[in-house]
Amino acid sequence: MRKLFVSLAVLGLSLVAHAADKKYVIGMSQCNLGEPWRVQMNADVKRAADKHPNIEVVYKDAQNDTLKQVSQIREFIASKVDLLIVSPKEAVPLTPPVSEAFKAGIPVIVLDRRVTGSDYTEFIGADNKKIGRYLGQWIVKTLGGKGNVVELKGLMTSTPGQDRDSGFREGIKGSDLKIVFEADMKWLEPNARKEMESALATNPHIDLVYGHNDPGAHGAYLAAKAAGREKEMKFVGIDALPQEGQAYVRQGILSASFEYPTGGDVAIEKALEVLSGKTVPKEIVLDSRVFTKDNVDSGGEWLK
Amino acid sequence: MRENLAEREVQLEESGRGARGTRVVVDLVRRPWVRALAPLVLVLIIGLVFNAHGAFYAWGTHRDMLRQVSVYGILACGLTLVIISNGIDLSVGSLLGFTAVLFSLLSIHRAWPAAAAVLLVLAAGAACGLVSGELISRFRMQPFIATLAMMVFARGLAKSISGGEKVSQAVLMPDGTPKYLDLPHVFSVIDSKVLGGHLAVVTIIFFLCVAACWVLLGKLRWGRYLYATGGNEDSARLSGIPVHRVKLLAYGLSGLLSAVAGMCQAAQEQQGDPEAGNGYELTAIAIVVMGGTSLNGGRGGMLFTLLGAATIGYLEKILSINAVPEASRLMLTGAIVVAAVLFQKVRK
Repeated sequence: MRKLFVSLAVLGLSLVAHAADKKYVIGMSQCNLGEPWRVQMNADVKRAADKHPNIEVVYKDAQNDTLKQVSQIREFIASKVDLLIVSPKEAVPLTPPVSEAFKAGIPVIVLDRRVTGSDYTEFIGADNKKIGRYLGQWIVKTLGGKGNVVELKGLMTSTPGQDRDSGFREGIKGSDLKIVFEADMKWLEPNARKEMESALATNPHIDLVYGHNDPGAHGAYLAAKAAGREKEMKFVGIDALPQEGQAYVRQGILSASFEYPTGGDVAIEKALEVLSGKTVPKEIVLDSRVFTKDNVDSGGEWLK
Repeated sequence: MRENLAEREVQLEESGRGARGTRVVVDLVRRPWVRALAPLVLVLIIGLVFNAHGAFYAWGTHRDMLRQVSVYGILACGLTLVIISNGIDLSVGSLLGFTAVLFSLLSIHRAWPAAAAVLLVLAAGAACGLVSGELISRFRMQPFIATLAMMVFARGLAKSISGGEKVSQAVLMPDGTPKYLDLPHVFSVIDSKVLGGHLAVVTIIFFLCVAACWVLLGKLRWGRYLYATGGNEDSARLSGIPVHRVKLLAYGLSGLLSAVAGMCQAAQEQQGDPEAGNGYELTAIAIVVMGGTSLNGGRGGMLFTLLGAATIGYLEKILSINAVPEASRLMLTGAIVVAAVLFQKVRK
């Protein structure tokens, strides 16, 4: 019923768009709005799109369900949107619908996670491995090459979790940093707090906690604070959303937060280029920034 | 605990002897509290063996375990009432999320006085529970379906009032700059420790919930009504028990306790996360069943749930202090739960 309603709405919108002429309808297929980072991605898309009165963005949320996202993309194809932005849940199952759209003449911008093959217009995404490596090097520099580190990992069956782990380990290679405790907190703050309590119980001295995301690092901070040991160590996280990581850095809770950009604004920028007939590169790797107490008010520092 | 170990040794010793010895063992194993204690003892033995270089012997580890399990335990209190009345409440996790968001909105963003915020959140939780109860008792919906619907609805409500984002101290102004609000006093109080730092406040709240439900089930008329309704609804009705209101009471209290858990969760996270409590209902049900309360209704009790909470809490804690990798954790949890429940099934 809801799907029908949404499709009717899309149909209605595209009819209106055609009537007004020159107004473009962009379909935005988001795999899961249950994560703050993806909420931020949609917000970034919206903020960029609001600046252009000639585009209308229709959003669909697949609620973390691969098959739902497949059918939502097909709905977008059926309603003949002018351009499609897809942030896929998984590469393989979403390749066929993306390819169908592309072959039907709808330009497709793939955001954050990849699809296989080459039936899309442009891929925009950041590199978790690279960010992990920068973060590792930053920790080596900050701790002077040695110390005890706790690693609270994101879901280790997910690619971002794996890349943030392997990149980090590359970054600290050759130093005397010791990973004294590691656990999978599945991106969730309450889990991070729980695991950190165990890390505190089994390690008399910890120099730094690396959370694969900022909520994880924040959960670890709350555990250390409850144990009266938060001054003993530093906390570092990834994502740097304005109201999460950046806020924690401002409040002095995290020493650093590394940005994992959503690319939502870049996607709209590129969409406009595609719609106006320009050719765009097949792949864009987004740059990211590190936010520390010193630079958070001036917009962070770009990682080179 | 040591006494219980001794008892088990006695059992093992005596099981080798003649018919009289066997009967003693059977009598002992038949006692529900022995069956509820057995899984806990099993888990504690695992903890003693894998003590993570002595971390298991530190009081801090036990205090942290009690803190971690408290939120699940509070949900399990409400579920015990519902399950004894031969129902089920799948909505407790979502109601936790909804009330955590509501509590954060009122306390952090609106800066309401603590008492007013707490009362309104409790009322909201109870109201949701009453709606489930009404659907089940008046409209004869299956508890599974009615509370499943409430589970989905409450999650939507949480996302709707929060705008899909975590309700925290950092608020984004329209121009993109963040503004910081103070952490309400009530949050720091709930997330503090008492008795010289030896016990978390949330654990005290959990124990109070257990005590209140224990009084209800064991000492009050309405408690007996819950057992009677769960045991055999028709005969309960025929003997003049107000079954309709009994069910409203069970689900209403389950909603109320979910709100208590939601406030504890928000205070410990210092924010209201609309995704909070996802899947918590299953852990809470596991706690109730692990304790020995029957899913068929009519049998069980609060102290069993307390034991179940300790069992699940220690299991998680022991796996965590030993930094067991996630995959092995899941398999071990599954295996130990089965072993523990199998032991409860032993009758002869």
